[in-house]
Amino acid sequence: MNPDRSSKSNKPGLYVHIPFCSSICPYCDFAVLTGNRSRQERFVSHLLREIDLADGKMRGFDTVYFGGGTPSFLYAEGLSEIAKAVVNKGEKGWLDPDCQWFLEANPEDVTPSSLSVWRELGIRTLSLGVQALDDEALPWLGRHHTVEGVRRSVGLVREAGFDALSLDLIYGRPGQESAAWRKELEAAVALEPDHLSCYQLTIHERTLFGRRKREGEVMEASEDRQAELFRFTHEFLAEAGYEGYEVSNFARSEAHRSRHNQKYWYHTPYLGLGPSAHSFDGRSRFWNEHSLFDWQKKIDGGGSAVDGRETLSDEDLLLEAVMLRMRTKDGLDLAWVRERFGIDFLKVNEDLVAKLSTDGLLELDEDWLRPTLDGLAVADRLAVAFNVGTAAT
Amino acid sequence: MALTQIRNFCIIAHINHGKSTLADRLIQRCGGVSDREFRDQLLDSMDLERERGITIKSNTVSLHYKAKDGREYLLNLIDTPGHVDFSHEVRRSLMSSDGALILVDAAQGVEAQTVANLYLAMEHDLRVLPVINKIDLPAADIDRVQEEIDKDLGLDALEAIPVSAKLGHGIDELLEAIIEKLPAPTGDPEASLQALIFDALYDAYRGVILYCRIKQGTVKPGQTIRLMHTGKEYDVEEVGLLQLKRVKQDELSAGAVGYVIANIKAVRDIAIGDTITHKDNPAPKPLPGYKEAKPVVFSSIYPMSTDDYEDLTKALEKLTLNDPALTYQKDSSAALGFGFRCGFLGLLHLDVIQERLKREYDLSLLLSAPSVQYRLTVEKEGVVMVDNPSRYPDPMHIIKSEEPFIKASVMMPEKYLGAVMELCRERRGVNTTFHYLAVGRVELTSELPLAEVLFDFYDRLKTVTQGYGSFDYEMLDYRETKIVKVDILVNGESVDALSQLVHVDNARPRALHYCERLAETIPKQQFKIAIQGAIGGNIITRTTINAYRKDVTAKCYGGDITRKRKLLEKQKEGKRRMKMVGAVEIPQAAFVAVLKTDES
Repeated sequence: MNPDRSSKSNKPGLYVHIPFCSSICPYCDFAVLTGNRSRQERFVSHLLREIDLADGKMRGFDTVYFGGGTPSFLYAEGLSEIAKAVVNKGEKGWLDPDCQWFLEANPEDVTPSSLSVWRELGIRTLSLGVQALDDEALPWLGRHHTVEGVRRSVGLVREAGFDALSLDLIYGRPGQESAAWRKELEAAVALEPDHLSCYQLTIHERTLFGRRKREGEVMEASEDRQAELFRFTHEFLAEAGYEGYEVSNFARSEAHRSRHNQKYWYHTPYLGLGPSAHSFDGRSRFWNEHSLFDWQKKIDGGGSAVDGRETLSDEDLLLEAVMLRMRTKDGLDLAWVRERFGIDFLKVNEDLVAKLSTDGLLELDEDWLRPTLDGLAVADRLAVAFNVGTAAT
Repeated sequence: MALTQIRNFCIIAHINHGKSTLADRLIQRCGGVSDREFRDQLLDSMDLERERGITIKSNTVSLHYKAKDGREYLLNLIDTPGHVDFSHEVRRSLMSSDGALILVDAAQGVEAQTVANLYLAMEHDLRVLPVINKIDLPAADIDRVQEEIDKDLGLDALEAIPVSAKLGHGIDELLEAIIEKLPAPTGDPEASLQALIFDALYDAYRGVILYCRIKQGTVKPGQTIRLMHTGKEYDVEEVGLLQLKRVKQDELSAGAVGYVIANIKAVRDIAIGDTITHKDNPAPKPLPGYKEAKPVVFSSIYPMSTDDYEDLTKALEKLTLNDPALTYQKDSSAALGFGFRCGFLGLLHLDVIQERLKREYDLSLLLSAPSVQYRLTVEKEGVVMVDNPSRYPDPMHIIKSEEPFIKASVMMPEKYLGAVMELCRERRGVNTTFHYLAVGRVELTSELPLAEVLFDFYDRLKTVTQGYGSFDYEMLDYRETKIVKVDILVNGESVDALSQLVHVDNARPRALHYCERLAETIPKQQFKIAIQGAIGGNIITRTTINAYRKDVTAKCYGGDITRKRKLLEKQKEGKRRMKMVGAVEIPQAAFVAVLKTDES
């Protein structure tokens, strides 16, 4: 199997973080906040400065991804100004001619007029934050749309002629039966998206759900239950023609895998702009100030908004690679490990690979070490188990 | 000073009956220490002793006391340790004394240890003076304790001095009684030298300091002495009295208790209980009482971190400078790395050494299950002594197995007798008998395998007697037994550090105990883990830890790979601290949980 598919590229990607939401969802632990118009305007003016200040060392981006937060919640003129600034910079070779533009949007923000603005900006792929296709679950998740609203939005997106549509869903809610989740998945598949992201509910400590968990009001499903739902999700979607190419990501075809997200998983460089955005230049990782306030202050000071930086050693890189590839269906390219790090990964992990293969968690396919579906379900565990040093232990 | 103005005595008592407090009070009353210097329980020099309220290492102090008769006396208080593991030390303290105060708690009454120590004192012809302590306690029952002194100890209850060491009550009366009732030492300063070494201490600057009682003759700096058992000779550099600090003297002569410094490098070069004489004009024979302290309990000690092996080596070397009863030799385990097989006088000794290694040397340790030494008769080889499961021979070739037995004595209120008899029966006790000491108080004796006492016996005894049972023992002999080696297997691989030699009847429960504790403490892994107990190839118990079925974060935090990698590194770091048995990661906490000796 050749992993180099059209959806994957070695060119860098650009991520723009829009930190605003209409309200904060109880499960969300990203850098988000609600913001009125003047606050948003201040943010936009700072972001324009940050784009202007970008040194241009990293260039030739073939993805521009507006994530958040809720980019669709940002006032339209603001989004336009940002997009234009990116394009202008692009005239100086910042963007690749084949650049693809992505935007995360809430269903309720999808209107004929917003769609036409986004189209005009060059957005070709929309990712809708659907989260649930169950009218009782949506308010519980802090969402303001309805199932009917989602259907309407999807229809509008299709009419407006976007290239690709992705839906985000959350599963594993307390009390969510397999049958109910199956119904939601059926409804999702009926909408014929090109891509699906199905995230199992994780209750993070510093969220509203986190607090309610501490108070004993909300509980994550048991491990066995989570495992069952995980398997069910992958099997159901595979049956429906969506290949689970990553733990939580499913695509209608290889071409529809997320070109941008794959950069994160394959050590392709990317530049992140906006508060809390992360960047990787091939050797170093650096990240912006987390809070909007600190990020703005740094930009006001005339310098970069970068808060921290680390340079990865070969061991760091390999550790990350193992950790990230074990989350993907394609798995780890052993030839690449051998060439890049001079390590015979199989030899260093001989007993473990044998044991995990026998137990049905891994498959060795020529020079690729792939997690099976059961392996994917314990990918974090596998990453810990492997020895990435040179000496066998 | 004339012999008639010297009193050499010790205080013997059960743990917590207030021996050290009484010693402190005597020292204070005799001005042996200024109030500013005064710390409670002066004689207990180790923090550990202070904390546990027990004396492990004996100390000695000479006190000047001006009695009511107007004369000045020198009182040599020879401290004794208060636990059965250290009875060899008690014995030597007694041998250096002419009299003993036997201390009884006014609320607790006479305990097993008190009786045992009294017998020891009587064996050495000491004049014994009973003292009733803690008369200030609300629960104090002086009449009952007097009756016990009369009946259990056979001493004159009317002679007993009531005191409160805590409040300082009765101390003057006690000091006068010491002068009046306890005998002065005898001996001839001109005779050939005979001095009993009853303790020794290593000093970084002066080498070994010998604590001794001069029975006959005189010793002074410049003389050449010979230690009669080892035959080694040394030049005396300094002699003196122990008055909390060393006070140099010109000489020590018959009747004196003091110290001798003679350029001796290590405590292991000498033998406690040995007799000092002169190279010229030596005594015809040594004093009686030399007995080697033999370890009876064995355990392997491993550092938690292999990096600490060197430090452990040094720490053990240092500890044995002062504690020759502790023995050690190199040992190693596939699971736990390099360590030492150590021999101890008993469980408390083991506990004390473990604590000292932790506190004084800041070492984190793992100790294998304590074991006794078995006497095995093996084809072709003959008799071999085995305490380490890794040295256990092929059972096919063992002709006979024997294990050490003890004579245990438990004193308790009558109502617990049934429960204690049952406990002894469970622990394979034989010839269990009892007799009434006084109304409502019973002493039970039973012949028990020592191995049975090593495994949570103290705890169980405490529980079944609600804390009112006191326990003492002495070694008896070796008796034929049936032992097996129990191995613990993790996914089919034996964890050598967890192997044990146990009586065949205990094999299954002990294996189950280990398997269950491991199953509780080994975290789930990416595969199923079988934990089995086995005798040879025969599986006797089995527990299973299920594999992880779901362990993956849903989101990869967008581009924030650093966060995820840091989490992973943390887990890897945790894994690095685990011990690998085959492909299974076993956290040290699991070893700690399994090997934890139940608190004694």
